Amino acid sequence: MGATVREKGYTHWDGTLVERRFPWWPITRTGILLAFRKKRFKLVFAAAFVPAFIFLVGIYISERLEDFERFLQGSDRFLNIGPKYFSTYFTNDSLLFLIVLVLAYGAGGLIADDLKHSSLQLYFARPLVKRDYLIGKMSVIAFFVLILTALPGLVLVAFKLVFAGSFKFFLQYPWLPLAIVGYAALLTVFFAFYVLLLSSVSKNARYVMVMIFGVYIFSNVLFGILRGIFKTPYMALFSVPANLQQAGAFLFGQKLPHAVPAVWSFAVLAGLCLLAAAVLDRKIRGVEVIR
Amino acid sequence: MSIEVKDLSFRYGRITALDGVSMKLEEGAVGLLGPNGAGKSTLLRILLGFLVPERGEGKVLGYDIRREQALIRRAVGYMPESDCFIAGMDAVTFTSYFGELSGMPRQEAMKRAHEVLYYVGLGEARYRLLDTYSAGMKQRLKLAQALVHDPKILFLDEPTSNLDPTGRVEILELIRDISSNKSIQVLLSSHILDDIEALCESVVILKQGRLAAEGRMADLRAIHYSLYEVRIKGDGGPFREDLEGLGARVDETADGLVKIYMPEGGDRMDIFRAAVRAGVQLRSFVKSRTSLEDLFAGVVGVD
Repeated sequence: MGATVREKGYTHWDGTLVERRFPWWPITRTGILLAFRKKRFKLVFAAAFVPAFIFLVGIYISERLEDFERFLQGSDRFLNIGPKYFSTYFTNDSLLFLIVLVLAYGAGGLIADDLKHSSLQLYFARPLVKRDYLIGKMSVIAFFVLILTALPGLVLVAFKLVFAGSFKFFLQYPWLPLAIVGYAALLTVFFAFYVLLLSSVSKNARYVMVMIFGVYIFSNVLFGILRGIFKTPYMALFSVPANLQQAGAFLFGQKLPHAVPAVWSFAVLAGLCLLAAAVLDRKIRGVEVIR
Repeated sequence: MSIEVKDLSFRYGRITALDGVSMKLEEGAVGLLGPNGAGKSTLLRILLGFLVPERGEGKVLGYDIRREQALIRRAVGYMPESDCFIAGMDAVTFTSYFGELSGMPRQEAMKRAHEVLYYVGLGEARYRLLDTYSAGMKQRLKLAQALVHDPKILFLDEPTSNLDPTGRVEILELIRDISSNKSIQVLLSSHILDDIEALCESVVILKQGRLAAEGRMADLRAIHYSLYEVRIKGDGGPFREDLEGLGARVDETADGLVKIYMPEGGDRMDIFRAAVRAGVQLRSFVKSRTSLEDLFAGVVGVD
């Protein structure tokens, strides 16, 4: 290796450093590319589109009921396309679980790997501030969540219009795209804080992956146990998925799955985000300071 | 003046890491020297803006360390002490990534990454995953990422730690090349005296968070003390006590050589007088040229 030291001499760079409008963008782009370098992640990511595909088929069939009458045998009541159909798509356990799965594989190491390999100091030796670093990492999560929620949601609306061949559906529910974007944004913000919080509490990405699953599932198990003991629906507030489903049902104007005011679920989700922000503010710094 | 700090102080909880450090660093390679816990890394981190000083002020290349951290980081390359990389990346992606984060356009950063990787001797291994790099290669990689945006100053924190002798020589050769031929100022923090002696024209010595000495090495050697090496016959105890009473520091090596660091203004005849008083015989007496090790021992008071 020593022979190559002088192979090419050092030359000064004659360009000019620029001040970027979005200094966090290289962090986001690199985070997404690194996730797609993992084979297992690619499989999980592809699998996460299965619910969208199923719901798309549902929309197609709903417009061709007479062709599929023989197969449906009276179950066409599920294919009444409206806000409830979209609410079901967004709040069903399988989609939320797949989002968690994608984030566990693709985003679990976002901060944990930087802590493990001491690379935070390299970031902060650049003209970046903590906010840039966190926005860069959060945007990776936002990319995955939005591509699994807002994108398919809006595509489903578009296909509904295409299959129906009219704008009647849109005129009937003009607020539906807003509800889709709003709920996707809520999921994005929540999961960004949730995943980064857990990613910042361990240096081991595998532990983080387990925690992302564990906290999500355990909170739901805890809800079931506490509801059994205290016989009150308010125990749903302990469950991450139940709170997300409450918020989703509220935004899509549907009956809430638990007899608890939706505002409580919004408050719990906001509280978790604030907790995560406080922890991240403390954990993310250029040097480890032991006081 | 590239770096200037006044009355800089910082504490980690109750522990004082820096206490009223003031200094002005000239161009060229400067060594930052001190025993563990002297405050070297803390000083580098304050200069980079990782830590905010409790008291004092400072400028790097004319930029204020409290208000213009982004401008400082744009102009400074930092090679940290600990191993740091991003898992799953190769060296080209890693180096260009940090070039881009420094403000280089993406294409330029990629082109430049190839250049600096060749320069540090990682040209052949630039597409290998960093997870497979040896300690020496990681050290070179850290240097490459510090150089990618062509900084005006390089902060090197223990650049030769964890290296085998060959790797150490190669890294030192690179640093010497950068500091002497490339118009990049180098601030080298190390506890390896030989490294600093080999590379630096001037030195800053910290001791328990305070500035113990600062200046050109040749000047410091002359100013702070004179070193005499003597061999004695007889009981060295009273002789040592007598000299220490005069403000000198006395060390004895394993082979019986007594090193006497006479304070500034001290008279060498005092050594002879002390020998007479203690009843010891001086078998040899040499005024020694001081090495950095001697300077360090004389100033900091540790071996």
